[in-house]
Amino acid sequence: MRVVVADDTMLIREGIVRLLRDAGIEVVAEAEDAQGLLHQVRLTGPDVALVDIRMPPTHTDEGLVAAQAIRAQHPQVGVLVLSQYVEPSYALRLIQEQPERIGYLLKERVFDIATVVDALRRIVDGETVIDPTIVSRLVGRRRRQDPLAALSVRERQVLELIAEGMSNRAIAARLYVTERTVEAHTTQIFQKLRLPESPDQHRRVLAVLAFLRS
Amino acid sequence: MTAVLIRRGNLARLAVGPVALAVGLGALVIAQGPGRSTTYAGHSSLTATLTVAAGLALVGAGLVTALDRPAARIGDLAVLAGLVWFASVWVGWDNGPSLMRSLAMLAAGFTFPLLLHLALAYPSGRLRGAVPRALVSVVYLEAAIATLGRALFRDPFFDPNCWANCTDNLFLVRSLPPLARGIEVADRWFTAAAAAALVTVLGWRLLRDSRPARRALLPVALPAILLAVTVIAHAIALQRMPLEDPSDPIFGTIFLIGCVGVLLLAAGLAWAAVRTRVQRRAVARIATSLGQAPPPGSLQAALAQAVGDPELQITYWLPDAEQFVDATGRLVADPAAAPGRAVTTLLRDGRRIAVVSHTAALPDLERELGAAVRLALENERLQAQALAQLDQLRASRIRIVEAGDSERRRLERDLHDGAQQQLLALSYDLRLARTQAGTDGDAATGTLLAEAIGQAQAALGELRDLAHGIYPAVLAEAGLTPALASLADAAPLPVEIHDAAEGRCPPVVETCAYLLVAEALDDAAGRDASHAIVSVVQDARRLVVTVQDDGTDRTATMVQLADRVGAQDGQLAVEPTRLRAELPCG
Repeated sequence: MRVVVADDTMLIREGIVRLLRDAGIEVVAEAEDAQGLLHQVRLTGPDVALVDIRMPPTHTDEGLVAAQAIRAQHPQVGVLVLSQYVEPSYALRLIQEQPERIGYLLKERVFDIATVVDALRRIVDGETVIDPTIVSRLVGRRRRQDPLAALSVRERQVLELIAEGMSNRAIAARLYVTERTVEAHTTQIFQKLRLPESPDQHRRVLAVLAFLRS
Repeated sequence: MTAVLIRRGNLARLAVGPVALAVGLGALVIAQGPGRSTTYAGHSSLTATLTVAAGLALVGAGLVTALDRPAARIGDLAVLAGLVWFASVWVGWDNGPSLMRSLAMLAAGFTFPLLLHLALAYPSGRLRGAVPRALVSVVYLEAAIATLGRALFRDPFFDPNCWANCTDNLFLVRSLPPLARGIEVADRWFTAAAAAALVTVLGWRLLRDSRPARRALLPVALPAILLAVTVIAHAIALQRMPLEDPSDPIFGTIFLIGCVGVLLLAAGLAWAAVRTRVQRRAVARIATSLGQAPPPGSLQAALAQAVGDPELQITYWLPDAEQFVDATGRLVADPAAAPGRAVTTLLRDGRRIAVVSHTAALPDLERELGAAVRLALENERLQAQALAQLDQLRASRIRIVEAGDSERRRLERDLHDGAQQQLLALSYDLRLARTQAGTDGDAATGTLLAEAIGQAQAALGELRDLAHGIYPAVLAEAGLTPALASLADAAPLPVEIHDAAEGRCPPVVETCAYLLVAEALDDAAGRDASHAIVSVVQDARRLVVTVQDDGTDRTATMVQLADRVGAQDGQLAVEPTRLRAELPCG
């Protein structure tokens, strides 16, 4: 897997590059701002770009803008955005505007290399990655008549994993059950929440996230 | 001192009345008798009536004007022009006293210069502009030279074109008929040229002046233009027919029109004097019509109406700030005179209180304003001063709030860019150390380091929440709607959001709305509310934020929120289970 890493803090950037290389991932280029990132992506054509949300010059949402630019100009290149913010709005904005091959992970996981590598692989496989903290923030949202109360504990687990962007196969592997079982749970969940079931992986994530936010 | 002089001057003016009457009646007698064929007035009873009426009307209008406004010379000019007007009749006193006829011949030459001066100096009495000043001086100078030349060298007896006076010139030093003839022709054409210049200047003024100034100018300017045209016509007629003849229809018509012009001029002057009087009364009544607590600007409106100048502006002087403000305390540019506009500085006890910018057709405003109006002006000035200070206070309040907001924002960034990076670097080192411990087979250290990594992660999480609490970056970057949604995500109670805001508001307004909702939700949770409804409505000018909950009644006064909302000129309604803020946006 070929990866471009963009972060304006040298210490963090070098740390992550070293950890990725140790994990056997090929880091083809590094960038310290959005412009450099776009240049490197154009030059090296990586599988995924790992992008910090805050970059010069304004240190606000340059990473999000760059992510959208990459997805629009190079659809084959996936983007994993690392963010300081537990903001479902940002995550939703990303996956609503650019479906597939996109991820939103909290910055604090950047050195939890197993999680990062897993996210990169899932993005290369065409999945969507939403940080579990964001999903649990949404699932834990207080509701007056909570439709989630109708779900069993296991169904709730499956729902969260769907929201994180996982495929049925990945969920099955995570929960040590068969894929058929996961499919059965999914059908139940969608019926209980009155959501239209979609075979499209990406639409499924969007539907669940939008439901949780409503 | 000045008052005494004016009083003395007024007595002299009153004495002019009988004198003018005598001069006029004398002219009538001459016209009916010895001057029957040597004056225009003697041609018919119509010309006699018109001639005498025109002269007396001019004197009368002049007296009315002069008594009303002694400081302006307009009235005196009119009186003088009226008296001199009769000279043309007295010249024609056939077989009359030689001195009288000679003096009348000299005086007659100043009729037009005086009328020109009057028309150009109207209404203030001062000649405004270099061209009118130069024109008046040159015309007086020329009239003086021509009169002197006529007196010294014109022997009427040898003047082939003489008609009114062919016998008398007491001042004759040497008879030089060709020179006298040259003076006559030169004087005639010079006067015609001056008349044309007068028409140009007056026409230009009428075109350029503001509406109220033009309205005031018209009653005098139009008759003056008519008179100037007759002067030009007279010069042309003389050129074609050197011997002037009152019975000639052309000369007769020109003379009649001239008489009508003078009559109209007198009427215009009299009308202006009456109007000034009415205005003065209206101005004097302003103070009583204003009432107990007039709203800012009512004095300007009242004064504008009283003097018939809708463009009149009052600006107040704030001595401490050394600035001009309007009645509402808003800063305005220093008032300056413009074409057709004049400025009058109003003093009270020697201190400048206000400057009035008004039409130039309104002379002596300073004098017209009585003590009561001045007191009202001083009151409005104090009110304007208070309003200006209030404005400054408001601006300073909003600056304080904005400074606080940007400080929060800076703090939030510092936490992300400083502390968070440090903690990330620490967790990186801990992970390297743990990997090393694993390689070394040191299980105990590995466990310790794993715990430390967990703690570092927890610290990062807390730091992230702290930074968000200080200032949510999403608010600045994405706006109120996503920020409120994220507030609802993490709220301790179910929150329903009805958000109809479309555009963005200034950051200070959005921050205020956000903090209001955040605080209201905390407060609702503290009062055991089971849910809250947040609604945001935005129209062209304001943002209305309402938070309704179903908790017990509120006891907190929400004073900090009220301060923040008040700083932005907004309004906060604090009800037992409902908060509603209206914030200006746009």
